[in-house]
Amino acid sequence: MIDRQPIDTYARQISDEKQTSVITGSTASTDKRFNALFTDYADPDSLRKLAAKIKDHTLHHLDTYLEQAEASLQRNGVTVHFADSGDDARETVLNILRGHEVTQLTKSKSMASEEIHLNPYLIENGIEVLESDLGEFIIQLDGDEPSHIVRPIIHKNRREIARTFQREGIAEDYNDDPGTITRRARVHLREKYMLAQAVITGGNFISAESGRLVLVTNEGNTRFGMAPSKVHIALVGIEKLVPTDRDLGVFLNLLGRSATGQQLTVYTEFISGPKDDSQPSGPEHMHVVFMNHGRTDVLDSNCREILRCIRCSACQNVCPVYRQASGHAYRSPYGGPIGAVLSPLLFGDRFPELADLPKASSLCGACNEVCPVDIPIPDLLLRLRDKAKRAHIPQPGDLPMTPFATLATSPSLWRTAMTMSKAMNHLPIQVAPVRPLQDWLGQRTLPDWHGGDFRKWLKARKEK
Amino acid sequence: MVSTPRPVGRKVLFMATCLCDAFYDDAARASVELLEHLGVEVVFPDDQTCCGQPAFNSGDWPSSRKVAKHAAKVFAGDLPVIVPSGSCAAMHFHGHRLQFEECPDAEVESLAHRTWEIIDFIVNGLGIKTWDGEFENPTRLAFHRSCHTRGTDTGEAVTTLLSSIRRAEVVPFGQTDQCCGFGGTFSVTFPHISGRMGSLKLDHIMESRPDLLVSADMSCLMHLTGLARVQGRPIPHLHVVQVLRDTLMTARK
Amino acid sequence: MSRDTIFQKIRSALEPIKEKAAHPGFEEAMLISPVRTAGSPVEAFSRNFTTVNGRVMSTLEEVIDLLRAQNHQVGYCDPSLMETLGRPLADAGFEVRTEYCRENYDDYDFGITRATGGIAETGSIILDDAHTSDRLAALSPWVHIAVLSRAAIHPSVPAAIAHLGSSRNIIWVTGPSKTADVEGILIEGVHGPGEQIAFLVD
Repeated sequence: MIDRQPIDTYARQISDEKQTSVITGSTASTDKRFNALFTDYADPDSLRKLAAKIKDHTLHHLDTYLEQAEASLQRNGVTVHFADSGDDARETVLNILRGHEVTQLTKSKSMASEEIHLNPYLIENGIEVLESDLGEFIIQLDGDEPSHIVRPIIHKNRREIARTFQREGIAEDYNDDPGTITRRARVHLREKYMLAQAVITGGNFISAESGRLVLVTNEGNTRFGMAPSKVHIALVGIEKLVPTDRDLGVFLNLLGRSATGQQLTVYTEFISGPKDDSQPSGPEHMHVVFMNHGRTDVLDSNCREILRCIRCSACQNVCPVYRQASGHAYRSPYGGPIGAVLSPLLFGDRFPELADLPKASSLCGACNEVCPVDIPIPDLLLRLRDKAKRAHIPQPGDLPMTPFATLATSPSLWRTAMTMSKAMNHLPIQVAPVRPLQDWLGQRTLPDWHGGDFRKWLKARKEK
Repeated sequence: MVSTPRPVGRKVLFMATCLCDAFYDDAARASVELLEHLGVEVVFPDDQTCCGQPAFNSGDWPSSRKVAKHAAKVFAGDLPVIVPSGSCAAMHFHGHRLQFEECPDAEVESLAHRTWEIIDFIVNGLGIKTWDGEFENPTRLAFHRSCHTRGTDTGEAVTTLLSSIRRAEVVPFGQTDQCCGFGGTFSVTFPHISGRMGSLKLDHIMESRPDLLVSADMSCLMHLTGLARVQGRPIPHLHVVQVLRDTLMTARK
Repeated sequence: MSRDTIFQKIRSALEPIKEKAAHPGFEEAMLISPVRTAGSPVEAFSRNFTTVNGRVMSTLEEVIDLLRAQNHQVGYCDPSLMETLGRPLADAGFEVRTEYCRENYDDYDFGITRATGGIAETGSIILDDAHTSDRLAALSPWVHIAVLSRAAIHPSVPAAIAHLGSSRNIIWVTGPSKTADVEGILIEGVHGPGEQIAFLVD
């Protein structure tokens, strides 16, 4: 008996309510993206191609740009750290916090920190951590995991959130009006901001030329968290560089539009160092932690184009498999097409366990079509399937292909099989030996077999 | 993805595809009749089998490379290779290149360079922009734009031709660009998701109240209409080439 | 040491890449949306700022009307903007403070700060730490009024980037603070202002 793929099994089990949330949310985001790009530009495709080339250039010269970025940041008064592994990154952040005697901090949404499970580690080590993005805040309250890059709680509805707020004492009564939920979070979180001694952020881009760190948020949480804090730590993947400030224009134009259909995200912040004397406020200490965590392994693979990714989530939103399965099915912070490529590579030691992710695609190519940096995701999924096969990782539901190849390279066998298989017309469905095939035929009927009929027709014509 | 320029000529090699070989013989017949009507001599290499996609998509590249090399031999030469399937055509001009990128093969590369999806060939190769066909009665056509024609000229080519048929109306429907959920082996290993994707696609198609569902890929149609029959909402369906041939015959009556 | 390890790994990963991609170079015109930049910078700014649910104002009366309609009483004003807006509002009966006291952040219904520029193409205001009296005063009150000189409006995103300047902290603000985390429904005023006002001056 051959089994189904794990993501298909997961999709089968999720509640209708959750699935409706995911489908409606992601479909709406896809439409907004399309409208924003195609209203604003005559040829949005040329922008994607340009962005892809700039990213490729940067990645192909990553050693040069990383060194340049380090020097620029240091010139601006930033302390630069490098962390090769997830462990290194966690320890580095903790040591910085201890060095500044920080016991309480706020954190804005960062996928890099999700990759290395930074929060639980800091909490274990006695640091009070509060997620300040509304979605991440709710994830933290629920002990849940984000299921989408931009909208971490796309899988939750207002009723669940209202119950959480009541349970956690954020509100005294149950109220599921989204406006009220947001107001309550506003009041609750700003008290905490004022007490925080540090803020941890990710980084959307760093310009190697100027050392500017660019952060984008819609809520303003990063900005708020930074106003009272003395210490700012940015945890940034080494692939987040762009060569110059001028290049930032290309990516800022694409990021907001691709993610949420906005021309720009509400708050686009350019930070080039700790507070100086001209500034009334801001952190006095700024640290950038450049994290590798598997990225050089990706750079060393035949899937390095995935490192162009700017985490916009357009591929998740448009992916028909993601829409059915939701983000948690992908078993890493990155769900959908980006996760299906990135996770098995980034978490290299988990490759066998995650090797099914690249299978979760009909290879429809929608992900590539919407990607702001033109990542050929279907090609990368296929290369990873090849990689898994070469590593002899068994895949649930895989049909043996050697007999097929034999048949398809033996013309006379093929022609005979075509006429023989007419017997299929008389077989009851139940005889099909494997479960997936039964599933298949349970949902669909096959057309009548006409094997070899076309060839016969051709021959008859010739003889005429 | 598609090579340009690809060879155009009045003599072509025809690849029927395994699906037409096994189930949809009339789509293959229509392709031949259509090409001949347009003054093109059609050669059918009898040793042809399949493009190798099932093995390729399931990650068994050693197997699919064997099939690809077989196809490259069967279709050797310098004639255009015409395929009545966006998916099999894309396998030739894109998939093969991908699986041979570390061990380039001149014959496979040549095949990639000469392969055309049939409607793309008719419209952009032969330059036929309107179709002198007609339906007996006003007919609403839902055109399912198959995923393997993404980034190629086929989608627009089909719409151009179908719209010019008398009494034909190509009706728009929601989420046109979404996949039907077939994906070959995907529909076997992800039966639930594949079925849900197909049903969703059918919902959108049915909302446009079409008389006929049309596509340049029989694989999508097999999946969609197979689902539709089980769900009690069967829908007549044809390959674009069948529509072109049949409406031409109606016009000539 | 992580630094050396990372650089070593990068160099060894890049080694097999035979043809390293060149920077493509580009004309800035290609990044600029013709639709969004149509008209004069002030016209485009006003149109796009309104689209993102900001409010463009140029008279004291408009400001007073809004503050009264929403029942706001107490606000902060950058001392250097007292002549422009602070004093006239005080004269109209509002309580205007020139010091922003963090501990009492909840006291302030509105904050008046200086925008150092604007971006017409996207309807953004630019706040620059070196010229803004208090970050939190632009963030914490429900209403933020940015005083923006018409001449400081850049036509496009690339133009704004070319003129970023040297301040350690620059922020582009494109509309009120917002979220769509709950069921994709747009809610404004999450952590920052629910009302973003650009008060245009010459």
